[in-house]
Amino acid sequence: MAAHEILAATNAVVSLDVATVTTTWPWLVTVNMWAKSIGTGVIFMLFLLLRTHPESGNKLRFVTAAAAFVFINIFLLFTLADLHQPFRMWHIFFHPHWSSAITIGSFMASAFLGLLTLLVFLAYTKKDETFDKVLLWVTILAIPVTLYTAALMAQCTARELWQMPAESAQMILAALLAGSAAMILLGGDKLTYEAKKSLGVVLGLSALMAFIIYMSEYVFGPMKAEEIAATIEYIKGDGPYTVMFWLGQWMTYLLPMLLIVLSRASKSENILKLAALLALVGLFIVKHVWLMIPQLLPMS
Amino acid sequence: MQLGFLVDLHLCMGCKGCEIACKVENEVPLSTWRLRVKYVDVGTFPETKRTFTPLRCNHCENAPCERICPVSALHYLENGIVDIDKERCIGCAGCVMACPYGAIYIDPQTQTADKCTYCAHRIASSMMPACVVACPVEANIFGDLDDVSSNISKYIQRNQSNVQVRKPEKGTNPHHFYVGGGNVSLNPLASERPEGHHLFGKITSKMPVGGH
Repeated sequence: MAAHEILAATNAVVSLDVATVTTTWPWLVTVNMWAKSIGTGVIFMLFLLLRTHPESGNKLRFVTAAAAFVFINIFLLFTLADLHQPFRMWHIFFHPHWSSAITIGSFMASAFLGLLTLLVFLAYTKKDETFDKVLLWVTILAIPVTLYTAALMAQCTARELWQMPAESAQMILAALLAGSAAMILLGGDKLTYEAKKSLGVVLGLSALMAFIIYMSEYVFGPMKAEEIAATIEYIKGDGPYTVMFWLGQWMTYLLPMLLIVLSRASKSENILKLAALLALVGLFIVKHVWLMIPQLLPMS
Repeated sequence: MQLGFLVDLHLCMGCKGCEIACKVENEVPLSTWRLRVKYVDVGTFPETKRTFTPLRCNHCENAPCERICPVSALHYLENGIVDIDKERCIGCAGCVMACPYGAIYIDPQTQTADKCTYCAHRIASSMMPACVVACPVEANIFGDLDDVSSNISKYIQRNQSNVQVRKPEKGTNPHHFYVGGGNVSLNPLASERPEGHHLFGKITSKMPVGGH
């Protein structure tokens, strides 16, 4: 029960109603967002490495394209699994409704997967020059692909918590965070120490900015709208998602930031890997909490 | 023509006749509801009263469900009704997440979205929606909002200072109005919702019993 204000003067109590449905979009959607963040994020990081640390980036074309291919397929598979009528998925392509972020996202994600498949092929056949040309377009397409879920959440008029400017920033930051973390773990010895330091900076800064946005919403969101206030109650005090929310914030943002500072001070690559691992696991928790809490609110 | 609904909450006595008529007319499965009547108790004994609020799809002029539907399964009819094509629906539940009135559900039998259609099939045959016919006190007033001589338009004119819609801040422009509503009846956050006061809370998405 959210602790929104019930006036003592009215003492209003719902005495008979239907049960509130609380899990319309379950954990499958969390996997969707998490895997997409990794799939698009590693592409951003490869693009960055090829320009700033080519000696490392050159060795990571195939492994990055393959990782992006795998995670985008996970994202698409779980999106499909979440449909109540998965075998009608083709309706999106033959009866598209262009005002829907789901439609636009489906077309973009399909094109993205096609280009990723091409990237894997080019990397496997070692056609590096063509690979780099295609990578530019894949990187550009990765931006709207990672953003469209924010547009979808913003189209959920019922869920006041999901505001477009904040969610779009969070989606891009999640991709940068997940991409840099995944690249630190994937790269291994192929990454130079300087490249790892750069990825650590991306990881740390994206963690810091995402944390600031979450805290801003946590503190100031309730001052703007009754529904946000009621939603945030689920992650305050003894709310059902309080522990999970703070566990996610510590694992994804605070601890990785601290560990990155420590790894730079001690020049320890293992500490950096631990930060990357925590961020990747924690991101799932953070995304899940933010997905679930607006669904707990009674709509009528 | 823009069809709309108005419920006079002064008249509604919570008999749930509309709810049952809707269930029967539209074969709404167990655990799901196109129309329901919510009871809210207000006050402290002995100064108490009970409010009854029929809740159904608002057939918004600017419907979030129509906008988010990726396959146009939710679509406008010419008479303003937001209808649903269950054969086209892919069950993404975007509409369920978008509707600020909690009016859409996933039908456990067809695994597609469903909601009140203002009995569009009856309207097409020049009949009133089932809930309107069933109401013993004529609390449900249905008609053309574009026609100033229709019952609903006259009702709105007569009660101008007391006509409300749910969540006007969402900008959905509902074609569903209430007369005599208050914060506790129209705002779901204005009342407590203790456990154990809801119908069929433990039925989730299982098929109805029977057949074997």
